[in-house]
Amino acid sequence: MSAAGLVAVPVRRRRRWTRLHWAGLAMAAPAVAYVVVFSLFPVLYGLRISFTRYNPLRRGGPQWTGLENYRDLLHSAEFGRSLLVTGQFVLMVLPATIVIATGLAVLVNRPFRGIGFVRSALYLPNIVSLTAVSMIWLWMYSQHGLFNEVLGAIGLPAQDLLHNENTALAAAAAMRVWKALGSNMVLILAGLQGIPNERYEAATVDGASSWQRFVNVTLPGLRPTLVFVVAMDIIYLAQSFAEIYVLTQGGPLGSTTTVNYLIYTTAFQYNQFGSAAAMAFVLFAFVAGFSLLATRGISGRRG
Amino acid sequence: MTTVATSTVVRRRARAPRYRRDWSRYLLVAVVVILVLIPFAWMVSIAFTPADRAFGSVALVPDNPTLENFRSAINDVGLVRALGNSLLVALAAVVVNCAVAPLAGYAFARLPFPGSRLVFLMIIATTAIPVSVTLIPLFLMTKSFPLAGGNDLFGHGGNGLLDTLPAVTIPHLVGAMNVFLSRQYFLGMPSELAEAARVDGAGELRIFTRVHLPLARPLIAIVAIFSFTGTWDDFLWPLVTTTSSKNYTVQLALVQFNSTGNIRYGALMAGAILITLPVVLVFLANQRSFISGLAEGGSKG
Amino acid sequence: MVVPRALRFAAAAVAFTLLAACSSGGDDNATGAGSGAKHLTVWFPGTDPAESALVKNSLVPEFEKSTGATVDVTYVDYANLSNKLAAAFAAGTAPDVFGHGPAAVADLVVNDRLEPLPVDQLPAADRDDLTSALPGGQVDGKQYLMPLQMQGWLLAYNKDDFKAAGLDPDQPPTTWEGLRDAAKKLTVRDASGRITRSGLLLATDPIGREQSFATLIASAGGSLVDTAAHKSTFDSPQGKQALDYYVSLFNGPDAVATGLGTSFSANPPAQQPLVQGTASITLLAVNAIQKIVAAAPAKHFGVMQPPKFEGADHGAAFGGAGPGLMINADSKAKDLGWKFIQFMIGKDVNQRYVQAFGGLPVRASASASPYVTASPVLTAAVKAAPQFVPNPNVAGWVQARDKMDARLEQALNQKASTADALTSMAADVDDVLKKSQ
Repeated sequence: MSAAGLVAVPVRRRRRWTRLHWAGLAMAAPAVAYVVVFSLFPVLYGLRISFTRYNPLRRGGPQWTGLENYRDLLHSAEFGRSLLVTGQFVLMVLPATIVIATGLAVLVNRPFRGIGFVRSALYLPNIVSLTAVSMIWLWMYSQHGLFNEVLGAIGLPAQDLLHNENTALAAAAAMRVWKALGSNMVLILAGLQGIPNERYEAATVDGASSWQRFVNVTLPGLRPTLVFVVAMDIIYLAQSFAEIYVLTQGGPLGSTTTVNYLIYTTAFQYNQFGSAAAMAFVLFAFVAGFSLLATRGISGRRG
Repeated sequence: MTTVATSTVVRRRARAPRYRRDWSRYLLVAVVVILVLIPFAWMVSIAFTPADRAFGSVALVPDNPTLENFRSAINDVGLVRALGNSLLVALAAVVVNCAVAPLAGYAFARLPFPGSRLVFLMIIATTAIPVSVTLIPLFLMTKSFPLAGGNDLFGHGGNGLLDTLPAVTIPHLVGAMNVFLSRQYFLGMPSELAEAARVDGAGELRIFTRVHLPLARPLIAIVAIFSFTGTWDDFLWPLVTTTSSKNYTVQLALVQFNSTGNIRYGALMAGAILITLPVVLVFLANQRSFISGLAEGGSKG
Repeated sequence: MVVPRALRFAAAAVAFTLLAACSSGGDDNATGAGSGAKHLTVWFPGTDPAESALVKNSLVPEFEKSTGATVDVTYVDYANLSNKLAAAFAAGTAPDVFGHGPAAVADLVVNDRLEPLPVDQLPAADRDDLTSALPGGQVDGKQYLMPLQMQGWLLAYNKDDFKAAGLDPDQPPTTWEGLRDAAKKLTVRDASGRITRSGLLLATDPIGREQSFATLIASAGGSLVDTAAHKSTFDSPQGKQALDYYVSLFNGPDAVATGLGTSFSANPPAQQPLVQGTASITLLAVNAIQKIVAAAPAKHFGVMQPPKFEGADHGAAFGGAGPGLMINADSKAKDLGWKFIQFMIGKDVNQRYVQAFGGLPVRASASASPYVTASPVLTAAVKAAPQFVPNPNVAGWVQARDKMDARLEQALNQKASTADALTSMAADVDDVLKKSQ
């Protein structure tokens, strides 16, 4: 505990709690107390369940089985595949959404007539009820839907993207990119606003082209924001469930069965909460590892 | 792409000088906006299409538009009451989040204490566990909430907060991601201001509220937007905690149009449009303060 | 070191919540029936607007008036029922009476969550009248679910397509082999050879696959599971015949159907292949056929009796007891709950109930009612009722069904031969059934 604490304290004051320490603790306390009670406790409870057989329908609560659930996962081809599918999904969505969102944020950074409308329009996918939006996307992908109309118009044969093993995941990913753009853009926009103008002015004085200014001023200035956005996206994308549930239900041929989809069915269709919880913690280990790697990569050590 | 930095340079000036390059920028923005909005065009179109025609043949402009879908969206599933419920729940989440999350984020960024890094990592870590796993524990806690719904001090005897609006807010009151976002935000702020105020003998809470908070309007706007939409969109938690329709949130009301074998596309889309409008308003309102916050605060960096 | 007050508070809060959550196992209300209870909570499955309006605005008030009790009704869609029930049972807050499909019953029984229904208290005439409905709600010989409607899958076809293809629209084939020949004539292809209208379309979406296969294997004289032995029985010559047939509809140069994996069974009428003209014959639930007939009055639809495979004794189709009501074993109002269930299957009430959404009544005597006789679809369904075969009531069925589905999908997509698919399917299903005991 104190070793970890030392890393964080910028000025080396060993162990003694100063006035500033107390102030920091007091300010963090409400949030920490809430998170401990309403997030950490349920998570720890879930961790306990992952070492048990627990069917909520069964009387008498969870039965301790030690590492059995984890051992079973080790031998489960289905789970292994779902990890791969989840990884693929994250890789399909993350780079696309970050690059496009950054581009958009830069484009709508400076006020112009109708900026409010543009920003709201771009944010709209993020806030419209998923049920309704999924219906529209289901239709767009359907045999006589928008995509096939467009394909037909340029002389290409119709595709059944959601029912093709090779395209279903990408089709779900496309909807996710569309839906996640807005929130990422808003965050990056806020990051852009935090970059001091002086840096741009200095760069302009030095005769930097706009592309050079983007690379040398904007991108470094955005680093903390991008670290946050990437970490957040990895955490949320790795938990993708809703779009899969509505668009493909894990199919065809299991090609879109993400870990969280598997967790959901294991927990609520088969009532095997122990096994579902074990899956969640294995997924957690992967997510933690990868987001750490990714954020280290972007921020160059300091995260 | 090439207009990137230009735009930022002139941001601070009250009126931006016009660049010819702006045309390419506008064009690009327009194309993207149209692409993003295409699905909504059909959403609106279906909402105005007579119920028996919806999705049979989807035309961008319906043959004989009707308001019938909006009428049944409002009347059939208690959408007005659900809107009220969702507003209450979402606003509670916004207020608590905006009060608590920036405060904690500030502490983690500017006033670290022994162990604070570990505590912070722990907070973030909780978000990586899917809701399916924490649902049952949280449900048991809600049922055992002391001194509510017939419960005694130890949470026995009654149903606690189940089937109440406070139960619906519980998972949304403090978003761990909002704390994370706040920390990142305050990390990026210069520390000289605080040092100066500290030398003047100001208390830490005062330094936060007087010096840093006024500069954090964009942050507050984002926390508000995220906590509002997160609560507004939630489906699984309100589904399991509420049973009487008087406590339904908008998503629970809406999903009744999407029941197995009885999908009512027109009403579903009309309802979706109606429940999206408040969120758009929240966003519009916040993104104003977001911009004005920048105009004042951003230049001081 | 002094422990900060805030931290101490937080620790206390955690300890307290831990205590509270862990001690609420939900087993604290296993008290007796309490015959005097005057209040009932009921979760109804499904959210057909007409159905819920009838139940909430007419039926329940009538029941309340006649008994002096109060009833709280909540409608829950099937897709969301499992979540709600899992949480509620874990916390001990499940309703007195709740509805679900027959597939869920055995798991609830294994976990001692259901009260057996005293059906032998019913008058003998009533029991006779419910003969075809009751078995679907029984586990190990005891009644746990009272079906509120019958369900059945029938082949609906477009008579105009039959005529145009030179087939007799009033004498449809009676065997699957004959159907295939007819389907060949009904199938329409475009210039590039792609099928634009399926001759005979069986559902191939996740749940539809299992239901289609169940229909086929039953009409070949086979069965899915031996419920007494908790073992699968589909890896058999009949199973092979059924699966070969199913796969051949979609594959090879003689395919008569397209759109593998596409879901249509639960779509609104306007999106049904029969209505859109993208299929000439489809296997559909009776109430879906009812809706189609009502929604497209300009088209002429017919309904077939369940066909059989050549050499089998009789035709068969997936069906039998539909969703119904159960009583929570921990309910304090069991008597009132049973009264409510009896009320719902009363002759008059049940007919009004199923009429609201075009369903099949649970009582055999209802076949003479004007509601049934006025509808060719319902008349055909009532006639076919003895041939309806339900899913097996065994614990673990929901998971076993999904395992079956995955293998059926592989066979349909020709990722595995039908023989291999059946063998692995049997291994998967037996494993699940064994673990669920």
